[in-house]
Amino acid sequence: MEFTVGKLDLVRELSLTQGVVEKKSTIPILANILLEAHGDRLTLTATDLELGIRCSCPARVKKEGAGTVPARRLLDYVRLLPEADITIKFLENHWANLTCGRSRTKMAGMSRESFPELPVMPEAVAQIPYKQLSSMISRTVFAISMEESRFTLNGALLVLQDGAITMVSTDGHRLAYIQNVLADGDAHSFRALVPRKAMGEIVKLADEGTADDKVSLAGDDNHLFFKFGERLLITRKLTGNFPDYERVLPKENTHIATLAKLEIRSAIERVAQFADERSKAIRVQFSPGEVRVFSSSVETGESEENVPSEYKGPELEIGFNAQYLLDFLRAISQDQVAFALKDEKSAGELQPASTESINGHYRYVVMPMRI
Amino acid sequence: MKTIFHVDMDAFFVSVEELFDPSLRGKPVVVGGQYDERGVVSAASYAARKFGVHSAMPLRTAYKMCPLAIFVDGHPERYREYSKRAYTVLQSFSPLVEMASIDEAYLDMTGTERLHGPPLRAAHALHSAMHARTGLNCSVGIATSRLVAKVSSDQAKPNGILWIIPGQEARFLAPLEVRKIPGVGKVTEKNLHELGLRRVGDLAALDEKYLERRFGKWGLALAGKSQGLDAGGWFDTEVGEREDPKSISHEHTFNVDTADVDTLESTLAKLSEMVGRRLREHGLYTRTVQLKLRYSDFTTITRAHSMDRATQIDTDLFEQVRVLFRGNWKAGMTIRLLGVQTSSFEKLQGQMDLLDGGHHDKWREALNAADRLRDKYGESAVSLAAGMKGRFRERTHENPAGLPGKEPRRD
Repeated sequence: MEFTVGKLDLVRELSLTQGVVEKKSTIPILANILLEAHGDRLTLTATDLELGIRCSCPARVKKEGAGTVPARRLLDYVRLLPEADITIKFLENHWANLTCGRSRTKMAGMSRESFPELPVMPEAVAQIPYKQLSSMISRTVFAISMEESRFTLNGALLVLQDGAITMVSTDGHRLAYIQNVLADGDAHSFRALVPRKAMGEIVKLADEGTADDKVSLAGDDNHLFFKFGERLLITRKLTGNFPDYERVLPKENTHIATLAKLEIRSAIERVAQFADERSKAIRVQFSPGEVRVFSSSVETGESEENVPSEYKGPELEIGFNAQYLLDFLRAISQDQVAFALKDEKSAGELQPASTESINGHYRYVVMPMRI
Repeated sequence: MKTIFHVDMDAFFVSVEELFDPSLRGKPVVVGGQYDERGVVSAASYAARKFGVHSAMPLRTAYKMCPLAIFVDGHPERYREYSKRAYTVLQSFSPLVEMASIDEAYLDMTGTERLHGPPLRAAHALHSAMHARTGLNCSVGIATSRLVAKVSSDQAKPNGILWIIPGQEARFLAPLEVRKIPGVGKVTEKNLHELGLRRVGDLAALDEKYLERRFGKWGLALAGKSQGLDAGGWFDTEVGEREDPKSISHEHTFNVDTADVDTLESTLAKLSEMVGRRLREHGLYTRTVQLKLRYSDFTTITRAHSMDRATQIDTDLFEQVRVLFRGNWKAGMTIRLLGVQTSSFEKLQGQMDLLDGGHHDKWREALNAADRLRDKYGESAVSLAAGMKGRFRERTHENPAGLPGKEPRRD
């Protein structure tokens, strides 16, 4: 195999694949990237067996073929080359010969035969705008559980139904729910659990597109496919039953405190400095016209702040994990938030509130702490 | 200078049994089980001790030494009840009372002279009050340190009071065998004997640097102890100072090694329950659960898991420890010992759960009720169904759950 490719093209595609390359693999081939030259394109493939990615860029192909080289080393080296064309030729012993201007390098490679085959993408079930999918992910990904033993919570639920797209994540302490209208008349009903790692890669790939670009979504029994133009991300589905989230979405939270997001956010950020480091517990006191946030810890001291609020409900003092509240307050773009409550022992709910119309429906449910 | 009392109940388990059956009085009595049973002596009356019977001795051996002894089953719930009564008496003498086990306590009596008079008079009043209000005898040791107080109560036994006048500590200890120093067990005793050190005085005469070279940190503690100072381990803490434990664990050695999955898993359930009970007693929530597993050939493994939220619920502990067990036991290999340990404690349950539908709270209430039943009727009064098969009889124990003065804090 022999081909010539522009440095910038190669660096861009290689960078997009790095997140998928297995870093501490016991299977050496997974640290490699598969390069395939065919027609007038170069295709790059990486996988860690959970996640796979296939990218491509234009190339002048002299001789078609395939080979693999260590992905990280290839990127590190190519980045240092001048902005010029790079010619790569694979030798009989699976080594790759790289030439660029006056630079000549031979890289140890491995045969493409040992590289795993990626599944083939079936017919797409829906087209989702890049920006829509990416913003739904960034509003839910932080609520995914880090506890590996709760494997059905190690990803987000994605549901397509009745012209709506919904994404839900929870770690058992809080839950993020977002629903948007899906402007794709042909979309099928669809339901799957998307692993956390795949969500991160989706956001990266979506950043490369424009406002009009759409992702093609497809699934087979074990995999999910997200096609971003010429780039394809494949992930194993998480198996198991996602909890019945509709049951825990509050229905009786009638006491509502509306707050200026920046005010409450910076108040919590400051007060949280004096919360117990491990539990991050702060107390939030709701009184008519005002919300008071305070913390105290034997080791560090105590801190409190008042934020004005249109609150007409009863006096309530509730403990919350400051980090959980901040995750939400940092994820929204609106300037107002509404905090809906029932009592000290029931889940509280946060929603963006804004004078301008809000696109879609975003709900964040947080269980209190006993303090 | 401090005034510390060490109050030690005389032949506690036997004395309590005598209250329930006065015909036992003055006779050789062995508490712990019947003469032909497996198990060990929990306590022996003074009359039985004359025959060489002592606690921790197998029951069958005790029978050989003293065939005429009356063998009585232990009644842990009775001992707990009387321990509580004794604690109440002690509390009327000083606010600083620390139960060191079910039948002994330290009192910090410093500064009570104007209320109770000089040490010997206070001790006499305490001694009489104890007998009047519990029907039990005790011995009292008085000294400037916990260590010397403990040693002197031992010398005062039975039914006596011994005051070591300040300044006389080293002279009092010097003629005693090194074994009498709290903390010196079989191993240290043997090591000291090898060096020709038999009396506490031999030890006190040595340069502490020498002991440090020989025994490290423990050597320094020994040097201090031989002078009558509180040194090493919890002797360094003040009386009544509550130190939260760093870990809580329970282990069980099988009478016969086993590879039976049901027996092993239900033993783990039982151990998880025992650990859960201790956690609730201390008002602590754990994040880390560890399994200890010893095969018949004595190879031992420990495997731990940290949870994303703290718990004190038996079933949560069991669930974690069972996963560890199933993932690490070489199926079919016979096991000698299983243990469940918890650590990384938090004082608050903290984060409530969104998905469990109040399940956790229901367990909490049920277990609190179960604990109250156990306080009243003994440890085996209630148990998890999963742990029934792994049940072993509650040993009459000097440090049972439900020790008075160690109730959970209700914050």
